[in-house]
Amino acid sequence: MKQNIILPFYLLTLLLFFAACTETVSDAKQEAAQPQIYPDYLGVTVPVNIAPLDFCMADEKALCIDAIVTDRHGNILHSQGRESIDFDLDDWHTLLGQNRGDSLSVTVSAKYDDGWHTYSPFSVYVSPDSIDYGICYRLIEPGYEVWSKMGIYERDLSSFDERALIENTQFEGCVNCHSFNRGNPADMSLHIRGPHGATLLRHDGGPLTAYNTKTGQTLGLCVYPYWHPSGRYIAYSTNTTRQLFHSAGHNRVEVFDEASDLQVYDVGKNELLLSPLLKQDSVYETYPVFSADGRSLYFCAARALPEDSHQLDSIRYSLYRIDFDPQTGSFGNQIETVVDAAAQHKSLSFPRPSYDGRFLCYTLSDYGQFSIWHHEADLWLLDLSTGESRPMTEANSKDTESFHNWSTSSRWLVLSSRRDDGLFTRPYFCHVDARGNVTKAFMLPQRNPRRFYRERFFSFNVPEFINAPTRFDGRRASRIINDEYRKDIGVRKDF
Amino acid sequence: MKVEYLCTVLFGTAVLLFFGLAYPHHLHYQEQYQLFLFDSTYVWEIVRLPGGVADLLGRFSTQFFLFAWVGAVIIAFLLMAVQLLTLRLFNFQLSTFNFQFAYGLSFVPSFLLWLFLLDENALMGGVWAVLLTLLAIWGCLLIPKGWKRYVAMIIAFVTLYWIAFGGSHYYRYPTVFPTLLYAAWLSAILLPLVVRLLHRFYRSPHTSYLLPLTSFALVAIVMGVLVWKNANFKAEKVMQYDFMATHQQWNRILETVNTEKPNNQIGVTVQNLALAMHGMLADHLFEYNQNGILGLLPDVKEDATSPMPTAEAFYQLGMVYVAQRTVFEAQEAILDFQKSGRCYKRLAQTNLIIGSYEVARKYLTALRKTLFYSEWANETLPLLGNEEAIARHPEYGRLRQYAYHQDFYFSDHVTPEMLESLFFSNTDNRLALEYLRAYYILTNDREGYARLLRELGVRN
Repeated sequence: MKQNIILPFYLLTLLLFFAACTETVSDAKQEAAQPQIYPDYLGVTVPVNIAPLDFCMADEKALCIDAIVTDRHGNILHSQGRESIDFDLDDWHTLLGQNRGDSLSVTVSAKYDDGWHTYSPFSVYVSPDSIDYGICYRLIEPGYEVWSKMGIYERDLSSFDERALIENTQFEGCVNCHSFNRGNPADMSLHIRGPHGATLLRHDGGPLTAYNTKTGQTLGLCVYPYWHPSGRYIAYSTNTTRQLFHSAGHNRVEVFDEASDLQVYDVGKNELLLSPLLKQDSVYETYPVFSADGRSLYFCAARALPEDSHQLDSIRYSLYRIDFDPQTGSFGNQIETVVDAAAQHKSLSFPRPSYDGRFLCYTLSDYGQFSIWHHEADLWLLDLSTGESRPMTEANSKDTESFHNWSTSSRWLVLSSRRDDGLFTRPYFCHVDARGNVTKAFMLPQRNPRRFYRERFFSFNVPEFINAPTRFDGRRASRIINDEYRKDIGVRKDF
Repeated sequence: MKVEYLCTVLFGTAVLLFFGLAYPHHLHYQEQYQLFLFDSTYVWEIVRLPGGVADLLGRFSTQFFLFAWVGAVIIAFLLMAVQLLTLRLFNFQLSTFNFQFAYGLSFVPSFLLWLFLLDENALMGGVWAVLLTLLAIWGCLLIPKGWKRYVAMIIAFVTLYWIAFGGSHYYRYPTVFPTLLYAAWLSAILLPLVVRLLHRFYRSPHTSYLLPLTSFALVAIVMGVLVWKNANFKAEKVMQYDFMATHQQWNRILETVNTEKPNNQIGVTVQNLALAMHGMLADHLFEYNQNGILGLLPDVKEDATSPMPTAEAFYQLGMVYVAQRTVFEAQEAILDFQKSGRCYKRLAQTNLIIGSYEVARKYLTALRKTLFYSEWANETLPLLGNEEAIARHPEYGRLRQYAYHQDFYFSDHVTPEMLESLFFSNTDNRLALEYLRAYYILTNDREGYARLLRELGVRN
């Protein structure tokens, strides 16, 4: 009987031993090159409160990986694994906390069939600028028109914890366009599409309310949202969107608008504010965002195509600005060009001003406004004090960079990129200092990142910073969604 | 062998023959709308939910439905087990049991499950949930009467809630209540109670085998008729065409259509693809049932089933992007959010052909974790990035050569221009020529046909 207990115990211990891969790195061949690891964390700048940068060897042939992280004070953090390095969470945070504003050195050894190889160390710079609590994103397969399981999730950036806010298993339809006021989840906007369509709004931490945002005087439902810094207004576009598909070439899908306008929703008065300058038939207006001081509305606009024309590659959006008076909720009477991308035969999308008012980050692609399906799409940084734009070469890749947004401190940028495999969107982060210096982007850390990203058939859609857990009650939200009640909204015209 | 077990074997044989001979493509259909992975994350995501164990066992057994006879054996064994456990719960003894008619009633839950499984959206997890329930009750009854049995019953009830009762994934439509399954479940729980009560108060004459066998015959005839009447042989035929197209059985398709001409869209689509693969489509078009251009390359609809044969045609034609989109959308439309081995395989192939190797690797890595697709995945993985090997490959190399040279936009509807562009980008693509000619004939586009002939004449 005793033997019966002991044998499985030994087997389990052996199993754990091999799983953990605890070996001494011996007789290692010294490599002059730095290691090729996945994700590429070589020379990155990370926030002091980021989750451990666990990694794998890029080539998948390593039998065991060993990493030693050292600092100038003689502290050492060691980890070893068969597939992936897995740093202890507490030890990692302690080490980063001790090296705020300094560099860490990472020495990687990998065991292959011919024995151990030790690579030239690489450094990781620990920025004293911390990052927000987490990010919120939609997980969805990067497909065409039909969707399967999807949901909105939040992820704690200092650990690996992920939580679903709401999933489409709780109701019939899809969910999109989550938005917060400068990362504050107390102000939240979320769209539900399908038979239970609604816009869910939470203002100042109050209860969720389901709205019907379609009115007789506007094009359709509210679509792309952006909160006014005061929390009193939300700018929305309203779009008639279609999709077509490529028969060849690199890009697979083209998402385009056949019509679009802009409108600002007054949360307090429950009415949409309209301006004739923002709803012109001959112009596609989209992606409205408020400036940091809330006195300007930036947006993208392109000359509309003639009816039934499918010359999609001739639709090019530029960046414009119009005055907005938060006291009265009225618009200025002229539109100003900020970046004339169309003149450069390029198209501009997703303008996002930093909250300190210094920069505006945008995506530049060859044409259109749905840049996630454009492999050539890159991020650019506009210095709002000089009006000069430059590509964010340090953070860009050969593949798609598209949606992005600023942390509440305006020092970190989260960006969507398809550089990993050309199709599945992953969140990356880069640091932007007060002078506009940009660092190399690093991928959202995961435990065993190769396994995680390869086995997950979802794109991380619209990553938005949140400065605290959302405390979103998914069950209550699904009851509201499945209920028939929708609050209608009014319209106030400035003309 | 005891007579009561002989009837069980008889019942099991009937189930086996039914699913093996009359309903095999329903089993193939079930298999292709799920993807069982030997992966701890996959297993955990299922078992952590109420009813997850039954669901997991259902998915595990469904993967064997790729081979219909194996699937039929599994179903036969499960239904036999349900019947035997029900009989055991009756505490039925042929020589001493008062209520002899009970014997036939022991087949009722199994027959109801059989009826349930006639529906292509019924999932095997439901059958396992009933079986687990019966096993748990039987296990409790094995414990001698007393507090231990009561404790065991409480534990069994809580466990059962977690592994079977609480589940909602026993039918593909999440909003549909599977009445037959719950009838089977209830009958499996309530019938033993009723029968045991009747055993106490009812006394039938002991006429050896006559009454039990009569009761079995009666239940078998009634339920057998119900099964036959409710079997959807029309759907079975449609699924057969889809199956034959999936496995590229072009000769078998023609043999089948020559015996009985298909009168449904999927059948006609598959028939036309087989004719085209034999180079017979345009010349023999009207010797077969046609459905206009909707029988050629039908518009893509937002469901998981109807686009699949069309996607096969797109793929064989070399319209790889169109095929990829169609297969992707079909998989996304699977109602219970499951994935499909068939779709994963095709998505790996299309990504490989268009050179999207890392995406193909994702699908292949997942397929490596399956029982029946892993061998193919392992053989295909070395092709990734190997341009020469792909060019030499009889299927992928050919389809790469057939690919569109010119980029244009497409949507749900195939136009003659798409077929023209396909054919004229590689005139070796005889399948495209067959479809193009058929398109002109079916739409009565004489001008287009004449233009095609002129163009061919010029090129020759």
